[in-house]
Amino acid sequence: MKSLFLSLVVVSVLFMNSFSEVQGKKWKGEGTTKNLESIVIGRCYNYIRIVNPAVGEKNCSEIWEAFKNAFINKDPCSILPKDYELVINLSLHTIPPNKSLFWENNQLLVKSFADRGRRYMSLGDTLFGFFGDFLNWCGQANSAGLDYESCPTMEECENNAVDSFWRMASITYAQHSSGVIHVLLNGSAVGGAYPAPGFFADYEIPNLQKDKISKIVIWVVDDIEGPDIESCGTHTVKILENRLKTLGYDVTCTDNYKSVMFLLCLDYPDDSKCTLSSSAPAAQRGPISSDRGGSWNKLLFVSFLGFLFRFALVY
Amino acid sequence: TPSSRGLSPINRTVLLVGIAVLLAALVLAVVLASVLTHGERGGVAPKMLKWKDRGTTKNLQEVILGRCYSYVMARYPELGDKDCLKIWESLKHAFIYKDPCNITSEDYQPLMELASHPIPCNKSLFWSKTYDLVHRYTKSNQNFLTLEDTLLGYMADRVSWCGDPSAPGINYESCPKRSECESNPSSVFWKMASKMFAEAACGVVQVMLNGSIEAGAFRNSSIFGSVEIFNLNPDKVSAVHIWVMHDIGGPQSESCSGHSIKRLTSILEERNFKITCEDNYRPVQLLQCVYNPDHTDCRLCTNTTANP
Repeated sequence: MKSLFLSLVVVSVLFMNSFSEVQGKKWKGEGTTKNLESIVIGRCYNYIRIVNPAVGEKNCSEIWEAFKNAFINKDPCSILPKDYELVINLSLHTIPPNKSLFWENNQLLVKSFADRGRRYMSLGDTLFGFFGDFLNWCGQANSAGLDYESCPTMEECENNAVDSFWRMASITYAQHSSGVIHVLLNGSAVGGAYPAPGFFADYEIPNLQKDKISKIVIWVVDDIEGPDIESCGTHTVKILENRLKTLGYDVTCTDNYKSVMFLLCLDYPDDSKCTLSSSAPAAQRGPISSDRGGSWNKLLFVSFLGFLFRFALVY
Repeated sequence: TPSSRGLSPINRTVLLVGIAVLLAALVLAVVLASVLTHGERGGVAPKMLKWKDRGTTKNLQEVILGRCYSYVMARYPELGDKDCLKIWESLKHAFIYKDPCNITSEDYQPLMELASHPIPCNKSLFWSKTYDLVHRYTKSNQNFLTLEDTLLGYMADRVSWCGDPSAPGINYESCPKRSECESNPSSVFWKMASKMFAEAACGVVQVMLNGSIEAGAFRNSSIFGSVEIFNLNPDKVSAVHIWVMHDIGGPQSESCSGHSIKRLTSILEERNFKITCEDNYRPVQLLQCVYNPDHTDCRLCTNTTANP
């Protein structure tokens, strides 16, 4: 009986293993983005020719090769930040002082607020951030090909191709930031406005160059309809402020910085937080010609009729 | 017998003639050589034409391809069937090796067909003289689409191209301005793309005009005024909402009650569209306030203090 049960278990385990292999997906995450090479090279040229020609000439094919070589033909769980050193060096350029914008839990907001590098230059507005943003990639051991089926998630292994890239990129971005540094945090975020562990906490703050930085400005902004979980001087924000002050930085913190609030208000123009004191009443909107013309005409017509009637009476 | 001491007169003459011929040949060779090499330096093939506007964007192919794939992946994965390589080829063949002053809409027809895609109703946003503001708006808020948010416009935005009959067929130095010739690759492209964008619009459409410019918010000579309004389909489009935006702290040269807006309204009403107009459409004004947070026009009703 016992041996039958045991053999059943063994058989079913073997069956499940082969079954999952037949299923195909090695990892839990999405596979490599389709046409990755064309997208990376295209974005690279788009950046140097149109978005930020000030960075000068870069060899985008070389950049792609260095990028690819960081993770192909390797175990996709063994990719380290330093594997990306070459590609980051090839695509490095000056970050103008006072333009660095760090962030946590508000990627799309930061993208809008930075305005394509014109207002601020977030990591996604540098060349190396630009060509990798919102893409996914991984390779496989013993094969020069990219894995388009699936890629490991952070939970499956820390040293995956994508996370290691962003670690290296964040380190470099922090190292080359100078002047007034800005950090935009989400006061409605569930894990805390300043998450630790996190990219800003673990890879950016430790790599800021103190002698190049004059001030650190923290903005804590709540979602328009979101809870006010944290603000300056409270919880994780307090931890961040203390950490930076201990490191010797001049730190200021502002809640619900107006400029950013206005941006959030785009999706909630009628919320009480978004009402402008100069706003004209909503009645201003409306059909402009037929209505107005119509009421005037009506008035004239009625007066004319009235006049005729009186005239007729008198006559 | 010839004297052993020196040459005889006849021999001397022959020698002199020989030297003269040799010298002449040498001079001729030098002259020919310099003429030929000069010709070479001047350009093997006929020179490319020179124009007043910036030339074709370098690495145009890579940029266009990358944008095409990016767009399909990020914005509209349901457009997965778009063959970006074919799209690039059709763009290239529209202008390569052609006289850049003689481009026709037929040249772009294959590209237009390959790259067009349906646009959701009530989302079309037209614009005139509000480039920065309107695109900041559509990038921050996905409710509306300008032409530059469709695949065709996205690929071509801020990029330039033109051809030339001589090799390599693409002119990277300069391209014709509209004032030099109207049928240039850029003008023809945007005219056609705008026409198609208007034709594809359905439901309620929006237009963002600039009420702070002297020349007037609505101009008959703009692409909006000359192409787009005449290609809106009255069977598909029910209404046109006009937004007249003023620069924060800028002149209020015109508003909904202004002359050019009245002109625009009458043109549209004649084609049976319902028209509404709003000065400083609130969501867009909020966006303007991002860049002018301390201006009096941007004071918020709720007086929230900055720091507790």
